[in-house]
Amino acid sequence: MIRTFLIPFLAIAGMIFAMAMVVRSSQPKPPSLPVVMPPTSPFASRVAGSGIIEANSENIAIGTPVGETVEKVAVKVGDDVQAGDVLFVLDTRDQESQLAVRKAELEAARQSLKRLESMPRSEEIPPAVARVEAARATMEDLQNQVAIMERVQDPRARSEEEMSRRRFAVLVAKGRLDEAEAALALLKAGAWKPEIEVAKAQVRAAEANVNQIQTEIDRRVIRAPIAGRVLQVKIRPGEFASAGMLATPLILMGAVEPLHVRVDVDENDAWRVRAGAKAEGYLRGNRDIKAALTFVRFEPYVVPKKSLTGDSSERVDTRVLQVLFSFDPKDLPVFVGQQMDVYIQSAPEGESTSKSNGPTSPAMESTK
Amino acid sequence: MYFLALKMLFNDKAKFFGIVMGVTLASLVITQQGSIFVGLMARTFGVITDMNYPDIWVMDPKVQFIDDTKPLADTKLFEVRGVPGVASAVPLYKGMIRARTDNGLFQNCNLYGLDDSTLIGGPGEMVEGRLADLRMADSVIVDVEGASDKLAKKNPVPGGPKIPLSIGDTLELNDHRAVVVGISRGSRTFQSQPNVFTTYSRAVTFAPKERKLLSFVLVKAEPGEDLEKLRARITEATGLAAYTSQQFKMLTVNYFLKYTGIPINFGIAVSLGFIIGTLITGFMFYSFTIDNLKYLGTLKAMGTGDTTLMTMILLQALSVGCIGFGIGAGAATVFGMSMSGTQLAFWITWQILALSGGAVVIICMLAAMLSVRKVVALEPAVVFKG
Repeated sequence: MIRTFLIPFLAIAGMIFAMAMVVRSSQPKPPSLPVVMPPTSPFASRVAGSGIIEANSENIAIGTPVGETVEKVAVKVGDDVQAGDVLFVLDTRDQESQLAVRKAELEAARQSLKRLESMPRSEEIPPAVARVEAARATMEDLQNQVAIMERVQDPRARSEEEMSRRRFAVLVAKGRLDEAEAALALLKAGAWKPEIEVAKAQVRAAEANVNQIQTEIDRRVIRAPIAGRVLQVKIRPGEFASAGMLATPLILMGAVEPLHVRVDVDENDAWRVRAGAKAEGYLRGNRDIKAALTFVRFEPYVVPKKSLTGDSSERVDTRVLQVLFSFDPKDLPVFVGQQMDVYIQSAPEGESTSKSNGPTSPAMESTK
Repeated sequence: MYFLALKMLFNDKAKFFGIVMGVTLASLVITQQGSIFVGLMARTFGVITDMNYPDIWVMDPKVQFIDDTKPLADTKLFEVRGVPGVASAVPLYKGMIRARTDNGLFQNCNLYGLDDSTLIGGPGEMVEGRLADLRMADSVIVDVEGASDKLAKKNPVPGGPKIPLSIGDTLELNDHRAVVVGISRGSRTFQSQPNVFTTYSRAVTFAPKERKLLSFVLVKAEPGEDLEKLRARITEATGLAAYTSQQFKMLTVNYFLKYTGIPINFGIAVSLGFIIGTLITGFMFYSFTIDNLKYLGTLKAMGTGDTTLMTMILLQALSVGCIGFGIGAGAATVFGMSMSGTQLAFWITWQILALSGGAVVIICMLAAMLSVRKVVALEPAVVFKG
């Protein structure tokens, strides 16, 4: 009996086993769920783009007008600065020493002007006056003697030669007096005016030299061009700050209230974006961190998309329209430079296709 | 009457055993070969099976199967995101990369670059580590098959077994350093290459420099969205091909069916099983019927109708069919189980069982038909001739 049923039993067992295997192997795979959920669009009809957060002034890469080593950095990363606040100071010892020279030169010029202006020297006048008095006295004495001689009627008592000699002596004395008086007048008149003008010009030149050096020193004090926040400080005291465009800016700053998002929209989608469109930005890594964005403007120039691989030999095949949106940083705990997934509301399909009038339309609208 | 038929069947032990063997053989060959074929084909789209989160795969229209990646420009991702009905879309990089193993050998691996923030497409089952650890610098996740064999470390003892890769080990991927942060379990690939998972941005730095690197866009549809309509919308808006997971699997399988000899090979094996089973069963059953012809003739002489006799024979045929099928299917399953730890692809599905069952029914019917003809044509008087 057992043997009779062994084979059917084996068959039933085999069948059950096969069925069990089928059920087991058709179990669905464990779901490969995302670590965080991806963002979803709040708009039925939309254009998507990736955005990068930047300051509303755009990120300002602070440069230096001259290449020089840095003496002092006055700000820290994250500092809020006012327009005109010192950011960093370059080494100015060279200019300081030149300034001292220039200042000395200015002082010399000023003193020589002062000397000219304060002429005549008061101590020189009394001797000159005395010389005039002396000359006058001499002349009067001689005139007196001539007069005495002329009163003598006796021709024997006075020789003609004697008389003429005395008369000429008077003339010489008069000449001497004139000379002394002229010398006194010259002395009293002081310096010659053109000479003073020359000296004044020299003073101005020296002043200009001082100012020039002062400006040179001022140029080595780098100040904030606008009020904003210091986003990056890549320069430290003692380092050489090169002038010109740098791959890594010395200091990066910008106005951060409100923040802007620069959204790259593929040129194929660009026509669908309207000026003033609503948009929503989602922070990468957590779709719950999001904010409504306010349209600011289009960049009127469509740029080649920045490539991901960074290979320099790469050809550009896509161009992107950049759209700027703003949001209040209080709404969104983000940093400048962070990436966002942005959805921009677009006109519904049917409407947008009928309205499309070329890729220039968004840019045109933005300028209205 | 029907009990009599079964008794007739079971009492002739040798014949019964022979018939069952024939059916069992056919059923075993068909089930086993079919399962291996299905298992092998399923490996071609194992990646799509494992990445079961996305509803739709978006790719270049010229893609023929999963490994045939034709990269897209990165901005296509955002075009897809802009299509109404798309809840989310993330990039996936899929490519081959050369890994340099510990013993200095080079090994080609499948490299998957998952979306940086969501890590969609990551392995669903982790043996060690966490998927989120991919956020660490230079990190990769290696599948357990690759880690324990092709990418395993050399044993310091000469001739000793390989030491599997574990968390913290480093690999050299295309001259880049990569740190293993996890071991995953997933479907084997068709070519049995190790699977290496990392983030998209890291994958494109590991990968050989190309201008375009985006292999697929994985789309999750909005709830309640008609996938067929969404596919059409995506294709219309972006000019790319969009397939549901199922369609992409079929596309991949069809490519392998069309361009490899695999289906012909297995088809021949299945046909041989079917033909041999039919022949053995048919002849054994026929000879069994001939042996029992005298009893059947007696019954006929006693007034039993042809219909009843036919039903009896069919019952006998179906009984041996069921028994043979059960044993064959069970044996095939045992074979599959015993091979589960090896490289062999074996996937038994209800379709395979149905197919093999159907084949058994056809075999039994063919066998029964021969016998039925004999019985219907039987003159009851023949039995009494002596």
